[in-house]
Amino acid sequence: MRRRATLLIAALCAACSSAPPPAPPPAPQAQAQTRLNESEARAAALVRAGDFAGAAREYGEAIRLAASVENADALAANAINQSIVDQWLGRDAEAREAIARVTDDKQRNFPEKRRLQAEVRRAILELAGSHNDAAATWAGRAETRCAGACEHAATILNVQAQIALATSHPADAERLAAAAGERASARGDKAEQANALRTLGRAQRLQGNAAAALPNLEQALLIDRELGDPRKILADLTELAMANDAAGNRDAARNYYARAVAVSKAMNDTRGLAEMEAQVKRP
Amino acid sequence: MNEPFVAPRRFARLVLKVNVFLLLGLAMVGAFMALVAYKQGWFVQQTPVHFVTANALGVNRGMPVKLFGFTIGTVSDMQLSPEGVDVTLSIISDYVPRIPQGSEARFAREGGIVGASVIEIQPGPAGPAVRAGERIAFRPQRGISEIVDDFRRQAVPAFNEVKNLFTQLKGPGDDVAGTLAGLRQEVQRLPETRAALQKLLVTAERTTEQLGQQSIATMRATQRTAEAAERAMAVVPPLAEKVGSAVESIDGAASQLRRTAEEAQGTLQRARPLIERGELAARDAGEVLGAAKRVWPLSDSFRETADRDLPIDSFEARGKSLRP
Repeated sequence: MRRRATLLIAALCAACSSAPPPAPPPAPQAQAQTRLNESEARAAALVRAGDFAGAAREYGEAIRLAASVENADALAANAINQSIVDQWLGRDAEAREAIARVTDDKQRNFPEKRRLQAEVRRAILELAGSHNDAAATWAGRAETRCAGACEHAATILNVQAQIALATSHPADAERLAAAAGERASARGDKAEQANALRTLGRAQRLQGNAAAALPNLEQALLIDRELGDPRKILADLTELAMANDAAGNRDAARNYYARAVAVSKAMNDTRGLAEMEAQVKRP
Repeated sequence: MNEPFVAPRRFARLVLKVNVFLLLGLAMVGAFMALVAYKQGWFVQQTPVHFVTANALGVNRGMPVKLFGFTIGTVSDMQLSPEGVDVTLSIISDYVPRIPQGSEARFAREGGIVGASVIEIQPGPAGPAVRAGERIAFRPQRGISEIVDDFRRQAVPAFNEVKNLFTQLKGPGDDVAGTLAGLRQEVQRLPETRAALQKLLVTAERTTEQLGQQSIATMRATQRTAEAAERAMAVVPPLAEKVGSAVESIDGAASQLRRTAEEAQGTLQRARPLIERGELAARDAGEVLGAAKRVWPLSDSFRETADRDLPIDSFEARGKSLRP
């Protein structure tokens, strides 16, 4: 009697623990697309959480999935994202490799918008690596594709302005940055507007017109504080310190240097910290 | 050998001592009972009121009876009756005047859905107070299933509206994300559209003014021509008649032109608030859609493809390790 009861209980437990019948699997194409969407969502979440290395891995996986379903748009978008994240991690070679998947692939039918974005990103990467000629070439291609009326027009002009600064043409930089500022302002693109104002101020300072640079740099700082990007705030404070120094406002320059030191320490960014601290102490 | 028993001295007046002890004990028991009776409200005059309910689930003897959240009595008795359960409430007599006839009792919980259960008195319209032994009405409690049903009744039309909105948004051959992206682009272009419209309005107003001025000038010229023609008419009467009719028709045309210009100006002025209202409506629609997109049941459906793009920022061209 007891054995029968034990068997009955065991059978009941087994019945309870058995898995329900599996749902029919989705179609392979839909399955891959779902995995692609999930991978993109995970990558975006990792970027928001500040895990850039994890995000780069996820973007790599998303690129692989997009390639497997021949989704050119997703492939390009994720390659661009991966290049951005790689650059944040200081992995410039990987960033260039990621963007080359789009810029160097003439066979695949990428959407025009993605090709343009990739060219802008390539120009940014080349300039960041001090390859000014290559940067100018890619920026020129992007400019041609954009025809002055795309959403990245201000970004392209800002990159060209920075190229002009890097190649010691501050007058050209001033003109390009002013045009970029107008485009960005018309589109309500605060980030590029601040970038344009910063570049404009720098170009004016380099031309010996530091007094004219100050209001532009102060406006850039206002916008960047509103956007809350410490990298840009640090750049604005440094530019303001140098412009004030050039304009003969030593006290104001010292104050901006001190603020830049505080921001730099808060960011754990030690680049140029010693020089800035020396500037603060300089009478 | 046998010595007579002599009681120890400490047992002297033993009976008296025992009696005193017993009396003290009795007094203490009596005091305790009096205290309990006081605490239980036995010395407070209470008025019985009762109600009958078909289902007394959750109602217990001793349950507090509350008025505006203040305890005014307890459930003192429960008896089965032909109609269901007859529940007697003992209300402290001092508070009975606060319960007018026509008041209702209802089952409630102190914390809403959870919390201690009580009988709550809902006072009726002002009037004479309930009398001892009087029956008051009882409003049964709404069950969870009824609350859920009620919620469902209210929610289903709203969800249907949302479903209709989705259907309208989706359209044949499009998906919601695409429609929204289009809508968003249109909304983003509104400031440009508004600027263009304002420019158009200014231009149209200026044109209208110029038109008006020109028509006035034309009319004056026509009048001058008419005067000249009148003078000529004296010399050449048949020709003058013809010129006169021509002048009249020109004059009429000029007046018509002027009226048209005025109407155009009026139309433009009337159109301006319409355009502004249209812009406001579009902005509101954008905000409503934005809010709807953030609501949990809809958020998944509104996942936009544009969100996956990281920003392309020219600031990154400055150099290495510029992580945000």
